[in-house]
Amino acid sequence: MSDKAKAIAELFNGRFGDRVSLGASIKGIQTIEVDVDAWLEVCRALRDEEEFCYEQLTDLCGVDYLSYGQSEWDTTDASTEGFGRGVEGLGPGRFDWADRPEAEDVKQRFGVVVHLLSFKHNRRLRVRCYAPDEGMPIVPSLVEIWSSANWYEREAFDLFGVVFEGHPDLRRILTDYGFTGHPFRKDFPLIGNVAVRYDSQKKRVVYEPVEIEPRVGVPRVLRNDSRYNTDEFDQAADAAAEEVAAQNTVAGEQEN
Amino acid sequence: MGMNNPVPLESVDDILRPSADANPLIDRGMVTTSLDALLNWARTGSMWPMTFGLACCAVEMMQAGASRYDLDRFGVIFRPSPRQSDVMIVAGTLTNKMAPAFRKVYDQMPNPKWVISMGSCANGGGYYHYAYSVTRGCDRVIPVDVYVPGCPPTAEALIYGILQLQAKIRRETTIAR
Repeated sequence: MSDKAKAIAELFNGRFGDRVSLGASIKGIQTIEVDVDAWLEVCRALRDEEEFCYEQLTDLCGVDYLSYGQSEWDTTDASTEGFGRGVEGLGPGRFDWADRPEAEDVKQRFGVVVHLLSFKHNRRLRVRCYAPDEGMPIVPSLVEIWSSANWYEREAFDLFGVVFEGHPDLRRILTDYGFTGHPFRKDFPLIGNVAVRYDSQKKRVVYEPVEIEPRVGVPRVLRNDSRYNTDEFDQAADAAAEEVAAQNTVAGEQEN
Repeated sequence: MGMNNPVPLESVDDILRPSADANPLIDRGMVTTSLDALLNWARTGSMWPMTFGLACCAVEMMQAGASRYDLDRFGVIFRPSPRQSDVMIVAGTLTNKMAPAFRKVYDQMPNPKWVISMGSCANGGGYYHYAYSVTRGCDRVIPVDVYVPGCPPTAEALIYGILQLQAKIRRETTIAR
């Protein structure tokens, strides 16, 4: 552990104790994980106290850790045959509403990540916390601490269904009026549930159940084209050609 | 409006009919033409598109309107109001949330009106065909006259689409049935 990392660890652990655990430091941005019960208290200290002084919240977003770490399709087994059979695998988005995966037993499914900026120290920080309940993820709202969190929390609520307790105006912000579901959840079907069409009898745009099948685009891989002409391949081709030539010679002699 | 074409296709562009040498009025400085040809000449000569830029296609549309390609040469002047426009260029991704407002703008345009669907997203959803929030083609909401393919179509492609629409309008007959 370098001196700098040690100093950072001492700074956070010395101030917050076991309510905060240190994560990775990526490109100079330290990640800390905060217990959801201490979320407001820690964030307020991060803004107000002299050694932190994070005046600005630059970003807040939700995360859904369902199927985290699972690949979209199996590349290692399928690579000799091309990616075609990988399509059959069950991955995020490749299902309709009836067949959506059930995710009751995923621990720490929903997370909230905020990015903070301190002008005073010219330093950035990433703070993460996990919602305790997967069925009804509730996290305290940061609007009182950083007012820029307002629309970010609305966005995270809209797309992930994370409820921010204490938010002054927690409405949907991006999706359609009367939209149901939270589209960035991994168990939300990619094709959605409704499609719009203009009804010339009713003289208005109507919503109908989606009529297309879910589909995932798969890269097309060409095998055994000219780029794969290795020495082995050439030798096999030469051997086959020689065999044909030999047969022709035999046939010619028999005719003579 | 019927789409039957009473005159040969090659003379469709020419509003001066019948031909000059057979017409004694030409010598006196007068021209005669059919009312349909006159109407179509007026309509194709000043197509004012309703500006409906929804996504990146709108940048190509602006490029077509800017000095290099200069849609003003064709009498095409962008109008930010549906009440004074007769063409709608749907430039970009039409989302489900936008669809009712989009239809309302189309309904506010006075007849006769035409629609150019610009780019893959407006034509059929394009890149977002399998997405939950995008309308799979603007022709699910309004009738479309000309589809311009591309992602995005170049400014030249859009101008070609406008010229195609002009050719289509010239073949329309309002008076002769």
